[in-house]
Amino acid sequence: MAFGGAEGVEYETATGRRAARGAPWSMRRREAVAGYLFIAPDAIGLAIFAALPMLLALGLGFYEVDGFGGYRFAGLANYRRMFLDPLFLQSLRVTLFYVLMLVPSLYVVGLGLALLAQRRSRISGLVRSLFFLPQMVSLVVVALVWQVLLVDKIGPVNRLMSLVGLGGLSWLGDPDLALASVVVVSLWFLMGFYMLIFLGGLQDIPREYYEAAWLDGANPIRAFFHITLPLLRTTSFFVLLVATVTAVAGGQAFDLIYVMTKGGPANSTELTIYYIYQQAFQYNEFGYAAAMATTLVAILLAFTFLLFRITRGGRFE
Amino acid sequence: METQKNGRAASTGELTRRQLLRRGTILGGAAALTGFPAIIRAKAATTTLSFWQFYAPGGPVPAQSQWFEDAVAAWNAARDAKIQLEYVPSGDYMNGTKLPTAFASGQGPDIFLISPGDFLRYYNGGVLQDLTPYIDAHTRSDFSQSVIASRKVDDKIYGVPMEVEPMAFYYRKDFFDKAGLNENDLPKTWEQLLEIGKKLTTSDRFGLLFETMPGYYQNFTWYPFLWQGGGEIQGSDGKSAFNAPATIQALKFWQDAVKSGAAPRKPLGGGVWDIVPNLGSGYCAIQNCGIWGISNLQSGAKDVPYGIFKLPTPPGGKYVTVGGGWAMVANAKGKNPDAAGQFCAWALASASPDSLKRMVDWCTVAKSDMPPRQSAFDTGKAAFETGQMKIFTEQIYPGARAEPRVPPQVYKIVSDAIQACQLNGAEPAKQAETASQQLDAFLAGYTGAKIL
Amino acid sequence: MNETRAPGLGRPATSGTFAAVPAILSLCSLILGLMTIIPLLWMLSTAFKQQSEVFGPGILPPHPTLDNFIYVFTQLDFLRFLFNTFFVSSSVTVLALLLHSMAGYALARLRFPGREAIFLTMFATFLVSLPVIIVPLFVLVKALGLLNSYAGLIIPAIFNAFGIFLLRQFYLGVPREIEEAAIMDGAGYWRIYWSVILPLSRPILSALAILFFLANWNAFLWPLTIVSDRNLWVVQVAIASFQGQYSGSWNYIMAASTVVALPTLILFVVFQRQIMESIKTSGLK
Repeated sequence: MAFGGAEGVEYETATGRRAARGAPWSMRRREAVAGYLFIAPDAIGLAIFAALPMLLALGLGFYEVDGFGGYRFAGLANYRRMFLDPLFLQSLRVTLFYVLMLVPSLYVVGLGLALLAQRRSRISGLVRSLFFLPQMVSLVVVALVWQVLLVDKIGPVNRLMSLVGLGGLSWLGDPDLALASVVVVSLWFLMGFYMLIFLGGLQDIPREYYEAAWLDGANPIRAFFHITLPLLRTTSFFVLLVATVTAVAGGQAFDLIYVMTKGGPANSTELTIYYIYQQAFQYNEFGYAAAMATTLVAILLAFTFLLFRITRGGRFE
Repeated sequence: METQKNGRAASTGELTRRQLLRRGTILGGAAALTGFPAIIRAKAATTTLSFWQFYAPGGPVPAQSQWFEDAVAAWNAARDAKIQLEYVPSGDYMNGTKLPTAFASGQGPDIFLISPGDFLRYYNGGVLQDLTPYIDAHTRSDFSQSVIASRKVDDKIYGVPMEVEPMAFYYRKDFFDKAGLNENDLPKTWEQLLEIGKKLTTSDRFGLLFETMPGYYQNFTWYPFLWQGGGEIQGSDGKSAFNAPATIQALKFWQDAVKSGAAPRKPLGGGVWDIVPNLGSGYCAIQNCGIWGISNLQSGAKDVPYGIFKLPTPPGGKYVTVGGGWAMVANAKGKNPDAAGQFCAWALASASPDSLKRMVDWCTVAKSDMPPRQSAFDTGKAAFETGQMKIFTEQIYPGARAEPRVPPQVYKIVSDAIQACQLNGAEPAKQAETASQQLDAFLAGYTGAKIL
Repeated sequence: MNETRAPGLGRPATSGTFAAVPAILSLCSLILGLMTIIPLLWMLSTAFKQQSEVFGPGILPPHPTLDNFIYVFTQLDFLRFLFNTFFVSSSVTVLALLLHSMAGYALARLRFPGREAIFLTMFATFLVSLPVIIVPLFVLVKALGLLNSYAGLIIPAIFNAFGIFLLRQFYLGVPREIEEAAIMDGAGYWRIYWSVILPLSRPILSALAILFFLANWNAFLWPLTIVSDRNLWVVQVAIASFQGQYSGSWNYIMAASTVVALPTLILFVVFQRQIMESIKTSGLK
């Protein structure tokens, strides 16, 4: 049997569209009006509480702002400064490493846990809950707890590692290890969420495909790569997008860094989002911070646009 | 930043606003901008003055918040301009968004507390009210000149210091005993300190503890080691003095402490200012900490046997330590800067016995600090000379230099040098040189108030 | 429960050497799961420790005590903060679910000019994080007179592109035929939404409800920034305050954190099966 059968899964919008195209004009207008009314509350809310502040931040990027009500138009000065600021460029590098370490691990671990947790057994509910449990605690507390677990010499992690001859490491104090430690804590915190997402995706895969593959003599690994992965495209798209965006601009990375390392040691965990925060709230450079924030959002936009382009709006039609 | 040239002038605000309006209109796309400062400037109509501080009601030492409540109640009983206390959690007060957001939107408190590390940021932003007119000449000279200097610009006082908190070393007597050491072994030189730190290091304890988290506080605790060898950030010629042997030796000293394995790369608790989770828990045997350690240990680790010694010195160096502490300031752009300024002076800087008593109470009952006024010291003498305070009064405080005030950019340059050497194995000489170049580049364009 | 056999792991293991595989996998997942919560157990155990024991080597408290909890409740008006947080989080959750499902439905199923552009613009706001816009947002909220109010805590928190995005993806996968029948009956769009789409989305809405509730329960930066009246404090602000005041007293901090985590934990345990089932059947994607 050909695994190509998987391609037959089709999302219903395509047929739906065809039906609508034939509809008379007045019906289409009615539909459009309804559409606008349905999105109006959210659209207005987002415009006021997200888009407008972002536009204001965008505007601030062209000003020198002293943080006490003084504004001076500065043209592109903040942007020029940004590209000459080694710390900003360094923070972009750190962010890139963070994303490159975190997002693939989240994908693999999230999917792995989902595969483990979806097995039918008496304890599956318990297991899923256990994996999801870290999400229940606020990040500030998570960071506090991990700070103790990872502390030099006497931290439980170090005591454990010394049993296998890897003691004496400073997980949060060594510039070579700190970012990786933050990644591990992020992974620990977020994996339950992505497990849930993957559980949902796996559920949508018709069992018949596996049975057919099994009859064909395909082994589990082959079935995984030829059925599971291709059919998880929509889910994968979602996971990659959300994981990347939250890793770059989300509060989660920020909260962890804020409590655990403050960007140190030696700037090794200074993510761009944290650097922006420092510039704004510790150095009062609101204009400069706004320029960097705009740049960061622009980078993310480009990434999202690309992803949407490749996947045609995440529809995979 | 030209608009900040004289820091204060209200006219600069006018100018920038007009400029902004004009430019904003040109920037058709970002039309919303023109409304931005207008909204910001729309001030609330309430006349009650707000006073922000970070000592929680209740809390581990109820006397601290009580002190503020009593002071405000006494003021409100006698005056028309009422004051209302508002508490902001300390972590957010010092490192968070609450104050910057409030100030940026014209909602800043009328009276608040700042540390020297933040002085230039607020002063250069033009929000500090000149308090000199409210303080009589006699009281002005009653303040320790080094302490008040970091709150002065052009001989005008912009903040009333509440306390002085000098840095020292705390050590665990029981760990000394275990290592066969006693009080005669207390280190006098850096070399001895490193030696003894190594001796006290065991499989589950560090001998020595310096701050490792980047931040204003780490710089603050490092300055004395810079000064002891005669080092400075800025020379009298206004240029960087950072590329000097004193800098290199101080950077190397902290680096050696970590390299030798005697000092950790990461403390427990909130940081190295936090003595209970570190020295108190036995994570380290000697800790670099300020005078507040006495009261923190008293309330958090009563039974821990500890002692205090003053900072050791490098070869050929002279003893000096750093004295931090917060100051009360008034918002020049607040609802009633005049009343706010009067309050600051009335609270801690007037010749009246009440004012003096408040300072003594603050430094002895609420906290265990050194008072910035000589007469407060004389009044509370007994308290300052008992128990562990005695060594601060007699040995440590006399060599204290006030915490420097530096702009955030300078702080960051120094911080990067410390971090790179201490935790990333960088070459101290190279870091001192790089930092010095960055400092010169910044200082050449700096027009704010004098860096001290 | 209509759980299927593990499709991802291939053939159903029924006999011979493969019989042990499911048991081993179950055991592995249980061990992994337990390892996952070790940090949380540490938090719990610290809440029962005495101050001097906090940084000690043992995981279990040597002399368990309830004093920390008693202290937390006597020192802070915790019940009040818990109520505030509960009120704010549930209001945000309910309103957000309603508005987002409306928007998601329109973006997925209704055709109107500019739909894709609107969707992308809405989605773009997902890329903007709070620290970046907090100053302008504060100014706006102040201009709207929402400082120091429940409305100020609730309204700005409702609008979140993430929920819209999720729901749109969900509605993209709902078969057309279901609503087409309703259209044939002459039902208006609101009726279709209310009596066909909304009941259909119950599983995903309940899954989103827990995510939204959690996110708001744990929110800190925004509540702290716009509220100065202690009566309006939420629990995370109280925790932060506590942490500042009792930095050395981790036993208190962990007791407070446990109290704060407890409601969401209970909620999760009670609805665990439902949530998991709904997420599985709805396919969050």
